[in-house]
Amino acid sequence: MVTGSVTPYRSGQRDGRDGFAQLLHSEWTKFHTVRGWMLGMAAAALMLVLVALLAGISSDQRGAPAVPTGPGGEPVTDNFYFVHQPLTGDGSITVSVSGLDSSVPEGLGELRPGVVPWAKAGLIVKESTREGSPYAAIMVTGSHGVRMQDGYLNDRAGPVSAAAVRWLRLERSGDAITGYASADGKDWTRVGTVHLELGPTAQGGLFVASPQSVEGMGTTASVSTATFGDLRLQGGWTGRNWAGEQVGGESPSFAGYPPPAAGSFTRSSGTFTVTGAGDIAPAVRYSLPTAGTLGNILTGTFAGLIAVVVVAALFITTEYRKKLILVTLTASPKRGRVLLAKAIVLGAVTFVAGLAGAVVAIQLGERLARSNGVYLFPVTSSTELRVALGTAALLAAASVLALSVGAIFRTSAGAVTTVIAAIVLPYLLVANPFMPADAARLLTRVTPAAAFAVQQTLVQYPQVENPYTPYNDYYPLAPWAGLAVLAGYAVASLAIAAVVLRRRDA
Amino acid sequence: MSAAEIVVDGLHKRYGTTKALDGMSFTVQPGRVTGFLGPNGAGKSTTMRVILGLDAVDAGTALIEGKPYHRLRQPLSHVGSLLDAAALHPNRTARNHLLWLAHSQGLTARRVDQVIEQVGLTSAARRKAGGYSLGMRQRLGIGAALLGDPPIIMLDEPFNGMDPEGIIWMRGFLRSLAAEGRAVLVSSHLMSEVQDTADQLVVAGRGKVIADLSMADLISAASGNRVNLRTPARQAAMTVLAQAGAKVVATGPDSVTVSGLSPDRIVMLLNENAVPFSEVSAHRATLEDAYLELTRDAVEFRAAAPTEASW
Amino acid sequence: MSTALHAEWTKLRTVASPLWLLLGMIAATVALSAGATSVVTCAAAGCGGDVTRYSLIGVELGQALVAILAVLVISSEYSSGMIRTTLTAVPRRTTVFAAKAITVTGVVAVAGTIAVLASLLVGRFILPRQGFTASHGHPVLSLADGLTLRATAGSILYLTLIALLSLGIAVVVRDSATSIGVILGLLYLPPILAQVIGNPHWQHLLQRLAPMSAGLTIQATTNLNSLPICPWAGLGATAAWSAAALTSGVVVLRTRDA
Repeated sequence: MVTGSVTPYRSGQRDGRDGFAQLLHSEWTKFHTVRGWMLGMAAAALMLVLVALLAGISSDQRGAPAVPTGPGGEPVTDNFYFVHQPLTGDGSITVSVSGLDSSVPEGLGELRPGVVPWAKAGLIVKESTREGSPYAAIMVTGSHGVRMQDGYLNDRAGPVSAAAVRWLRLERSGDAITGYASADGKDWTRVGTVHLELGPTAQGGLFVASPQSVEGMGTTASVSTATFGDLRLQGGWTGRNWAGEQVGGESPSFAGYPPPAAGSFTRSSGTFTVTGAGDIAPAVRYSLPTAGTLGNILTGTFAGLIAVVVVAALFITTEYRKKLILVTLTASPKRGRVLLAKAIVLGAVTFVAGLAGAVVAIQLGERLARSNGVYLFPVTSSTELRVALGTAALLAAASVLALSVGAIFRTSAGAVTTVIAAIVLPYLLVANPFMPADAARLLTRVTPAAAFAVQQTLVQYPQVENPYTPYNDYYPLAPWAGLAVLAGYAVASLAIAAVVLRRRDA
Repeated sequence: MSAAEIVVDGLHKRYGTTKALDGMSFTVQPGRVTGFLGPNGAGKSTTMRVILGLDAVDAGTALIEGKPYHRLRQPLSHVGSLLDAAALHPNRTARNHLLWLAHSQGLTARRVDQVIEQVGLTSAARRKAGGYSLGMRQRLGIGAALLGDPPIIMLDEPFNGMDPEGIIWMRGFLRSLAAEGRAVLVSSHLMSEVQDTADQLVVAGRGKVIADLSMADLISAASGNRVNLRTPARQAAMTVLAQAGAKVVATGPDSVTVSGLSPDRIVMLLNENAVPFSEVSAHRATLEDAYLELTRDAVEFRAAAPTEASW
Repeated sequence: MSTALHAEWTKLRTVASPLWLLLGMIAATVALSAGATSVVTCAAAGCGGDVTRYSLIGVELGQALVAILAVLVISSEYSSGMIRTTLTAVPRRTTVFAAKAITVTGVVAVAGTIAVLASLLVGRFILPRQGFTASHGHPVLSLADGLTLRATAGSILYLTLIALLSLGIAVVVRDSATSIGVILGLLYLPPILAQVIGNPHWQHLLQRLAPMSAGLTIQATTNLNSLPICPWAGLGATAAWSAAALTSGVVVLRTRDA
């Protein structure tokens, strides 16, 4: 053989681009040319929509009483026993509170003394007895001292004192209401001033409220009784007859009185004894158990998640099973970059599918729920956008996690089970009613299930006692922080997968 | 001599206690088909995987145009390879399989269609690769190797599972690639598959090269210095030749094999001693015999009856 | 049949992954039970909880590993092409499938018994420390208690039913990842979906029909009147799912090309 004269072949192929973009292009071609994977992603989006439809059509609350809303349109509980009379113009009202005792049910038809931290007794000035009308109130509470509250959302603490009897005063001057508190009826401390649209004549007087008491994992109705004395109207206000009335007795947010108790007031020689139940506060999960949330509408995320995880795991494990990885790594020897390109393509496809599914699910779900008379906790459009984007990001992060675990395990069954168990099982566990709140909060802090916080739209209020557990749609982490936990798992496992891929023979 | 396209130097790799590569060294030159021969388990596939940067070695280097594989920009325009024709996603069409590969190199769909035509798959290109026969998969794999129009082509057992027509096509194809000046490395465990194709042979056994020679050298080595002699006076011939220092073995009633003497010398000695003979010819062993001779010690798993391997 | 059975047993025994999966199943079951029983306290649960059920909650995780085992027994044959060898050796496909089902059921029953009994032991050890004592109305967990015995035996049965369900689905679906997705979806999704179904009748129906929520009612030992379905009927619902999956598997196996 003649070897000396050989001219080595030089390609006529023009040099193409050599960069990350072409890797992405390649992986995208790889993904979209397998129809099953595209269908899987479409199925994931469809799951979100179908479950939203299921949730929508399975609920029928037409004819249910309307949920009261506060001045800002937010749902409120506005149920209390009100001893009131109309008060015109400016003036002030003063009273002393000498006792506030709460009871909770024990067995059927029996009551025992109990502690209701946010039981309330004091003075209130309110536009009318209509639920949700503007008000300002100053009160003593079960275990949070003197508070001044208004507009359902605002709460400020009054002076701290060990005195058994507390003196309270509300003073109106135009649209300004000022609250005062005193330990002896002589030295008064101003607690705060609020501005309200009350009209010339408002309803004012004594009130007692007693919110549901948190017992174990649930809540139970409670009732409280307060003793008032030294009731005085001053300034422009003059006394007439006091009338007793349960505000919001038929409201869906009112749990009622634990039998045999009932709302009432008695008056004997300047002493008023008032028994009441309910709360004046923003509505929370337990005060509106039948209301829906965006998170409920998007429950299909779990179903979509399973489809996404299966496709994501297959995207990498099929390469191993079919030895396609040999071709891939021969074409692109920089293994870390290959994995990153896969993760980006997969994450982007999942995000788009997830976003489409979430947006359609939210629109359809909201419409269906409303047409069926289901009340939805209101959200701003920016919150709605956050929930939709967050759901898409949750699915995208889960897909990257599944891809990485698939690259580490190299078998799809193990990868799929690991990721589904890591995300869905903690959620199932916290949905167990017996799961203690602390354990549930821990699980939704440290496991990938923390990401469902991104779908949370309910707000935790320090002045409302409620089992704020993930089971009741309250997550311990802020929305994006919860998502970051899952993203952290995804990034960490992607890094491990990159190291493993680089170390291991293909 | 032009620079070698592939330089494999002192590769060592062990899996646990098994030595997969034990000092594998050879070069692959442009313009020729290099046959990479050896029994199963000799380390051929592992060497190819090491060249392609798929497997790591404990020691040694494998360089393509002077660089390790992972340093190549657009590697498929430097080396085209086919390790496993079954490495396909069954639900992707052949064209889409080549398309993603093309995109990874910044190549266009037009190049894909050229290659499909070149390997004769145009009519089946839009069918799912899962339904392909083994021969069609081999063609598709060759297409993938040609995609970047590389100066080096490396194929692992490309004849496996091909029908006779396919084998003829493959041989012609490999020759034409070498004729264009490309370096072609083809592994096989059967001498017969490469004997009409390869210019150079690298014979591996037990993880190292046991022979690296041109096909011409192998042919002459195979014949050795033995001469076949046909004579009616067998005993007389044997005596004369043995006295002259040759080693003589009777192979039949009227035939002997002589080694240690050239054919000319044998004719002269027989004429001098008036021993009649009808034929003197150089002995031609088959290449298969020569190959088996070379690898005899290197076969790790020998069948009880040394039949030709049929896998 | 006995040769087919022997072959399947040898197949299962001679690769490492089934053993690891079974050990993993035991470990996961016991670990989750231990975790759950050590966070639940008598005070937080109002001391009214179902201690047997707490102790056996690990089954909710263990079943996922049982599903993997069953799926791999089928899909590894398809992905490697070994199914053709298997069906050449034993051409009667129903026999092959029955042999596989018996083998898998057998090993899952053994491993499941270990997992469930160990979970119960863990609960017996941990729960009294969490305040679940006889003075609060929670005597020490014991198999002598009829309801606890039923919960224990039922949990083992439940795991074997999940193995059969998974086998059937794996034959129909073939691909392992998709099979696992379908099985875990079938097990884990209904309890989540039930939360958002507003119609109480539908919700109730879903809980009665879904393989996991119905089947695991067998673990209940308290508040038996408030269960969506009575325990044996619940396990029966799971068995019906398994039977349906197995039947589909047999039909598909006999009619589809291997």
